[in-house]
Amino acid sequence: MARFVIRRLLQSAVVLLGVTLVVFLLLQLVPGDPVRVALGTRFDPQTYEALRARAGLDQPLVVQYFNYLGRALTGDLGVSFRSGRPVTAIVLERLPATLSLAFTAVVFATVVAFPLGILSAIRSGSWIDHAARVFSQFGVSVPDFWMGIMGILLFAGVLGWLPPSGYVALTEDPAGWASHVALPAATVGLVTASILTRFIRSSMLEVLSEDYVRTAEAKGLRTRVVVLRHVLRNALIPVVTVVAVQLASLLGGVIVIEVLFAWPGIGRLTYDAVQARDYPVLQGAVLLVAALFLLVNLLVDILYARLDPRITVR
Amino acid sequence: MSSTRFRMAGATLALMLGALAGCTTGEGVDVDGADGASAGGVLNAAIGGEPDQLDPHKTSAYHSFQVLENVYDTLVEPDTNLEMKPSLATGWTTSDDQLTWTFTLREGVTFSDGSPLTAEDVVYSYNRIIDEKLNNAYRFGTVKSVAAPDPTTVVVTLNAPTPNLLANLGGFKGVAIVQKSNVESGEVTTKPVGSGPFAVDSYTSGDSIRLVRNDNYWGEKPKLDGVTFTFVSDPTVALQNLQGGEVQWTDNLPPQQVAALLDGDDPTVQSVPSTDYWYLALNQAREPYDDVNVRRAIAFALDREAITKAAKFGLATVNQTAIPQNSAFYYEYAPFSHDVNQARQLLDQAGVSDLSMDLMVTSEYPETVTAAQVIASQLEAIGVTVEIRTLDFAQWLDEQGAGNFDSFMLGWLGNIDPDEFYYAQHHSGGTFNFHKYANPTVDRLLDQARTETDQAARKQQYDQVAKQIVDDASYIYLYNPDVAQGWSKQVTGYEVRTDRAIRFRDVALAK
Repeated sequence: MARFVIRRLLQSAVVLLGVTLVVFLLLQLVPGDPVRVALGTRFDPQTYEALRARAGLDQPLVVQYFNYLGRALTGDLGVSFRSGRPVTAIVLERLPATLSLAFTAVVFATVVAFPLGILSAIRSGSWIDHAARVFSQFGVSVPDFWMGIMGILLFAGVLGWLPPSGYVALTEDPAGWASHVALPAATVGLVTASILTRFIRSSMLEVLSEDYVRTAEAKGLRTRVVVLRHVLRNALIPVVTVVAVQLASLLGGVIVIEVLFAWPGIGRLTYDAVQARDYPVLQGAVLLVAALFLLVNLLVDILYARLDPRITVR
Repeated sequence: MSSTRFRMAGATLALMLGALAGCTTGEGVDVDGADGASAGGVLNAAIGGEPDQLDPHKTSAYHSFQVLENVYDTLVEPDTNLEMKPSLATGWTTSDDQLTWTFTLREGVTFSDGSPLTAEDVVYSYNRIIDEKLNNAYRFGTVKSVAAPDPTTVVVTLNAPTPNLLANLGGFKGVAIVQKSNVESGEVTTKPVGSGPFAVDSYTSGDSIRLVRNDNYWGEKPKLDGVTFTFVSDPTVALQNLQGGEVQWTDNLPPQQVAALLDGDDPTVQSVPSTDYWYLALNQAREPYDDVNVRRAIAFALDREAITKAAKFGLATVNQTAIPQNSAFYYEYAPFSHDVNQARQLLDQAGVSDLSMDLMVTSEYPETVTAAQVIASQLEAIGVTVEIRTLDFAQWLDEQGAGNFDSFMLGWLGNIDPDEFYYAQHHSGGTFNFHKYANPTVDRLLDQARTETDQAARKQQYDQVAKQIVDDASYIYLYNPDVAQGWSKQVTGYEVRTDRAIRFRDVALAK
């Protein structure tokens, strides 16, 4: 197990190295010049040259990349082009908001999707099964920003139960945090829940048709016991992966929703950085998200080995 | 195992719901027990985006200046009529040859941290902009040197007479007086120290900037305890925040709703004509747009009323020159009626038919995207096919700089002196002359007006410039937009300014 973890960590380091190169090269292909954006319409060639030189953008690409890499290895991801602040600090201070949104959304999604998915599998063809399918279809096909705006108009506007936007840190004021996270998390969670519901339903149906389930039923066990003891445990193993993948993708920030709800997470940071062509911040954000993704994957694999005795890690 | 996890999730949800039930909407304003309008309190303001940084000399973003307006001072500052009035400087004298300006500074001014602000700080600030070639270096183009003979005197020596020097030194906070130690420590980007009515207390990246009252302020102390700026990109959400009481002020209102909001009394929404102008430019380095008849044809083909209505929902004034009516430099001139036949004739004269024109607009300013569609349908009437290209602003600026366009639409924001309206855009050596307009008469007049100290003569020169630019259709001017801002009934003492400066120093917040 320990050897497996060490090997995976080494592999992850190689992947991250690749990520730095790919992101660096991709950014060179994206049209748009950060210096021009910074100056806007008050453009002056002298100022332009001075600013370019200060940002090191006048160096050859190879030099730029290796300078970046050399510093990155010491944990220094450079400074933001827009604000002049260290990228590491900028990216890390956006992490709590994204983490709280991602985890709350996943909790919301599982709370909704598990009962719905399980019931629609057990009562296949009943009204609840149809309702669950309509719900999934709705959640996957309706654009999330529209859902978000409707949520704001209803819960903040008409009912006045929740603030329309903004963020309060959990450590500062838990109640304030909960009221602010509820709407964006529900908006994101609805989409996740739709995906999960379908997956749980099909996974359950698959297990329900297994031989051992028929054996258990033939033994005269009650349906509830069969479902809880035999079906659920086996059906949920692949679901764990899907939940983890969903979580990992949310950790990258949810750009549209974060912008809509004025949520200070990685998604909004990425959006602003793209607008300004703030290369160092973009590179930092992508690196962090990639690292989180790899970490979640590793944890899932370890968890898998625990859940399913047929799988061994080597 | 799975059942315990269910129970955990259930508990989390119950906790969340409990927290939701226990919270009320709208943070109450902290009032320090005093009564009446001078109760203090913190004003929450929603602005449309996040400042890139708070160093006034290095930022060019309007969102930064919305905040910095309340943090920094300049030597002089524009009043509501955009005339330059004393601020850090109480008075100034000009030598007979117009080349030496001597400013007398206010006594006893300190930065918000209590350290004194002297003539040395003014010299440091101006030299920093000039030596490091920062964004506003061009405003000091005629400045030979800045000196501080004593702590309350600043002497600015010029290479040439500069009648608009005051506008250059006080037009906006991009030329503010900064504190040397604050710059050298690098804190100026996130915790700037100025001498203005408020001081930056904290900056939460991506979320908000909190200002607190500067008790060392030299002027009348603000009534508010502080101002918190939050960054809300979506105008619908910003308005919802204002209506729900989470914020008491915003300038990020959905344009299509402003007209209706102007009639209501809660929130209060007001609009004033701004000094901005929006225009269409044709690339004169490309055929057939080098032909003045083609440019004039397009100017005749446009129905500015319709464009303005679609792009601004009526919140703008149609104008065929750059400078708006409320300016002392306004020049009434509108030769282009909406005349399709005239436009067709001009195209025939130029020998142009079946023209396909590329029009570059940017999603950064949605009004250009809307206007482009109207322009396209209007030019179709004279046989010009418009191909609209909508780019994000970074790419748009790239293309503009490289001259890769037939035409583009954009605006110029926050101008005060006519030099800012015309020089960079229409002088053949202008830094923003990307559409390659070159007219020796205009060049001469622009250079002359720059150093003309007789106000009446200067006005006349700019009138000639304006007429020539319109006749040549260097820019095809469309409209001057209004500035619309909204605030709750609790707010008193706020007024919308034509230069879009956001000043909260005289504002009070009732309970």
